[in-house]
Amino acid sequence: MVKISRFAALLLLCFVGTTGSGIQAQEMSASIGQEKDGLVKQQPARMLYADTLLVKEANEMSNVITISDDNNESYTFSEGQLGEDEDYAGTTAMISSNDDYFLSEVGYLFSPMRFRIRAYESMYNNVYANGVLLNDAERGQFSYGMIGGLNDATRNKEGATAFEHNSFSFSPIGGSSNINMRASQYAAGHKASLVGCNRNYLARAMYTYSTGLMQNGWAFTGSASYRWANEGVIEGTFYNSFAYFLAAEKKINDSHSISIATWGSPTERAQQGAATEEAYWLAGSHYYNPNWGYQNGEKRNARVVNSYEPSLLLTWDFQINDKAKLTTSLFGKYSMYSTTALGWNGNAADPRPNYYQNLPSAAYDVWDLEYTPTEDELADYMTRYNYWKESKANRQLNWDYMYFANQQANALGGECLYYVERRHNDQLALNLSSVLNIDYNRKNRGTFGINLGTTKGMHYKTMADLLGADRYTDIDKFSVGDFGPNSDYVQNDVDNPNRQIGEDDTFGYDYDIYVNKMNLFYQHQTEFRGGFLYFGANIEGSTMERYGHMRNGRAQEYSKGSSGTAKFLGGGAKFGVIGRANANTTITFGIGFENRAPIAYNSFIAPRMRNDFVQGLENENIFSNEISFKSVMGPVTAKVSGYFTLFTNCTEQSAFYNDQQSQFTYLTMTDVKKAHYGLEASVVYNVTSALSFNAVASVGSAEYWKNANGFLISENEKVVMNDKVYMDGVKVDGTPLTALSLGVDYNIKGWYLSANVNYYDNIYIDASKYARLAGVVGAPVIDATTGEERLNIPTQYKGRGDFMVDASIGKSINLRGGKRLNINLSLNNILNNQKMITGGYEQNRDDSYSDGSERTYKFSKNPFLYYANAFNAYLNIGLRF
Amino acid sequence: MKTLKYLSLIALSLFLATSCMNDHDEPNFNELPYNPPYGNNEIGDANTTISELKDKFASIISANGAKEVTEDIIIQGVVVANDETGNVYKQFVINDPTGAIVVGVNDVGLYATMAKGQKVRIACKGLYVGGYGKMAQVGGLYNGSIGRMNKTVFPEHVRLISTPSLTQECMRPEVIDDSYFTDANMAKLAKYVRLENVEITEADGTELWAPEELAYNNVVERHIKMGKTNLVLRMSTYADFANEPLPDGKLNINGVLTRYNNYWQFVISSTSDIEQVKEEE
Repeated sequence: MVKISRFAALLLLCFVGTTGSGIQAQEMSASIGQEKDGLVKQQPARMLYADTLLVKEANEMSNVITISDDNNESYTFSEGQLGEDEDYAGTTAMISSNDDYFLSEVGYLFSPMRFRIRAYESMYNNVYANGVLLNDAERGQFSYGMIGGLNDATRNKEGATAFEHNSFSFSPIGGSSNINMRASQYAAGHKASLVGCNRNYLARAMYTYSTGLMQNGWAFTGSASYRWANEGVIEGTFYNSFAYFLAAEKKINDSHSISIATWGSPTERAQQGAATEEAYWLAGSHYYNPNWGYQNGEKRNARVVNSYEPSLLLTWDFQINDKAKLTTSLFGKYSMYSTTALGWNGNAADPRPNYYQNLPSAAYDVWDLEYTPTEDELADYMTRYNYWKESKANRQLNWDYMYFANQQANALGGECLYYVERRHNDQLALNLSSVLNIDYNRKNRGTFGINLGTTKGMHYKTMADLLGADRYTDIDKFSVGDFGPNSDYVQNDVDNPNRQIGEDDTFGYDYDIYVNKMNLFYQHQTEFRGGFLYFGANIEGSTMERYGHMRNGRAQEYSKGSSGTAKFLGGGAKFGVIGRANANTTITFGIGFENRAPIAYNSFIAPRMRNDFVQGLENENIFSNEISFKSVMGPVTAKVSGYFTLFTNCTEQSAFYNDQQSQFTYLTMTDVKKAHYGLEASVVYNVTSALSFNAVASVGSAEYWKNANGFLISENEKVVMNDKVYMDGVKVDGTPLTALSLGVDYNIKGWYLSANVNYYDNIYIDASKYARLAGVVGAPVIDATTGEERLNIPTQYKGRGDFMVDASIGKSINLRGGKRLNINLSLNNILNNQKMITGGYEQNRDDSYSDGSERTYKFSKNPFLYYANAFNAYLNIGLRF
Repeated sequence: MKTLKYLSLIALSLFLATSCMNDHDEPNFNELPYNPPYGNNEIGDANTTISELKDKFASIISANGAKEVTEDIIIQGVVVANDETGNVYKQFVINDPTGAIVVGVNDVGLYATMAKGQKVRIACKGLYVGGYGKMAQVGGLYNGSIGRMNKTVFPEHVRLISTPSLTQECMRPEVIDDSYFTDANMAKLAKYVRLENVEITEADGTELWAPEELAYNNVVERHIKMGKTNLVLRMSTYADFANEPLPDGKLNINGVLTRYNNYWQFVISSTSDIEQVKEEE
């Protein structure tokens, strides 16, 4: 099956590849000062910059997704580093292209399902401000939290796909966008808006004021907002976020202009956690949140994110002459990001309410339908079931219990049992970019650019709350049983043995990651009869280093100090052509290759304790091509594209608690090969100037194409193993690989109405790499039905395909004195479909004990799942004055 | 001027720090009257001693059976051994002046509430009492025999009486010597005892408490020679101190004397139960 679809994909690309030569219109019209607040559905072929911001906003407000491949047994370890956070994970790629209905629509349209265009990871999408890169150098991704609540201030954007010429970047496969933060580029006047909704936050107020470019050559713009929920739509969550943006620009003369902008969004918010279907069933809701519990009768959440990334941007625009323009920007940020998590010490019990031992299905094997439970087992099952059903408090954390346990220990001078730790991922970054745009003549233009960046990532944890305990000693509880409490091995910092930890003290791990990057690029566009030809190339050098501040007892010789510096040199080249096939049809073709350094996040083995790079760490290769046909036939505009992208030599890392060894474990995969391919289509039928119908489709696949090399290491280094990982055929998770939409737009007398029916399918969850290790899969078994030998590789969990209906209605009212009032109401998931997952993860645990005997609870049958939001509404009232 | 006003408004808002939403009052359970947030604070005074309970179920216990307690029996004792270091698992032992008894609960980290020195009452009605290796145990039913009670059942049957203390009466073990090992005493186990001036046979300064390679079902048997009795010291490989060296020389050890059918056994719950005897010249 897999083979056939691969073949089909290749065939498709070969076919379209040979017929390609053509064009895409290059209308880079600016969207500066566009007033679109809330009016999501104005015209069918409308501008998309406004949409990209809506994409962001929609994402910000959809479920607080905390996807993690780390179902960690103890929260002692950082998931913050492990891809669980919504600011990083699962954000829709913000590609935008000016005339592309598909790209302009899907980001917003499919955002409730956390759709990612072409299923690309967000590290393949770059976000710039005034030409300088904002992406985080350690993880490669843009953190939306950086501009949270600054919708007005970040509205002006220019977007570019991978195979388009643009004035600011060598776009990665997922495209790039450039936010214009020059004070003069905001529409002069006041703007205020209020939002009410039932999502992560309940209310938002925003105010923006801009002077526009004044007679004296100055321009000032300021924006502030506040987002609030004492309890969001998910029980036990809250949202408390302030944001500011201040910018000034001085146009010195016709050639020079200097601008400065500073912004930040100090935010405190509580998170939702995933659960298994069994826990959802017991709680009676797919929106059950195990992260909170009662303390003194009040709800308290254990997982609270605190983030603040104060940023500063300086830009010098130099119009050298009427053919050449140089844009130079310097960006600096000091990002403070932390997440709290419960920890438990010594031999204290796992306090999480949905810990598997608490679930009814841990009483007997409910999955074996042939099995008749004993009377005791049934009684045990019922006791557990009734406990869950009895009261809400039973399904949640019990803070009072944790305080009590600590106070009991205090009475005896004992160690803390329960605590809340804060995992910090701070970052200091400085990026410089200089881009020269030259119009050689009417038909040729070129863009030279240089980007330099240096980043220091600081990773450590502190004691957020001892929950009333007097004593906490900084040792690794998992190693105590293996080495004894008095061994050096159990020390997290041998140089400060048995350190007593008070609140706000650093403990556990403390290290820095340094990343330096330099990128040079050139791209060129030439116009020929009926079309454009585009090519570009870049060369990129990067270095990375870990510097440890603690001498870890399990890695005494290689944890403190420097790891040494790894250097990578890479680069890429792209070629695109846009041509006219006939009067109605343009054809676009693009092909590119990139050799790219791995991200620092994936490059170290067990970075919390060790200074080691992944063995065989190499650049990854990305080959991509696409072809599209666009046709305009009277009132109908249709476009269909095919794409094929191949990733080879990639490195991926996961970290999890290994129950078999009672150890936190890292699994690094190298030699990863993945392919993303599919078709994208859009049709718009403008029946009248007021009424249009549209259809959008994204049908594709993204999957691993071969087995990877795995390297498994536990934190105590007792388990070190090289093994094959059966990844061949595993699908990329966390996005629907099939997304279809039918919609209608209608506007009349200042009213705008739109409705869409969307269908999603092929939604997979994160496959456990551990469960696919050759050593865990074990020897081939004889298949009962076929009698043939086969490997017992787990089947990846797939969510059900289903429909969702969205609609919005808006009105724009012109008031006296040039004022304008916009009102927009968006309704999402009107049918209140609560059965669609947006993602999740398989448990990294075995169904059998280390001696081979079967466990009662089946981890393989109980993946953690996230569900798309239930019916929700978003009302935005904006006033421009 | 106006410009300045509007922008300064925005700048001003910079300094209006938004208040923290995640502040919660810290509950204090050490205040009197003692009102723990765990257990059943309705349970009344004890009406039965541990020894009386064992006597009532003597025939069930010696037959390794299990029987539901149907009378309103309430016992009271102090926790003398628990699972804090992992050597005892899913059990704890309470002691009153008449003896000690094992309580089985299907949960880990019991020491969070059943700290050493914690005075508790257990309302036995609805629980099971039975014999495991002919020794008395309070718990639940497991395949017709005595087992551990469900973790959600336990809090309904236990009441915590006061803040734990290691200095109270019931924390003082009876000192025994080899004359204690009689059949009559064996029938009344478990018992919280102190062994004085004893040596662990295997201790040589390097031998570990419970290395995995010596374990059978995760248990390693060490020995204490007391007169004619070679007392088995049961050690779990899961104990925190399993991979530490056995203490050498003369020792005073507090622990729980138990039986498995007709074998005497001895269990410690932590190395703090052991004290090195100072050699006097």
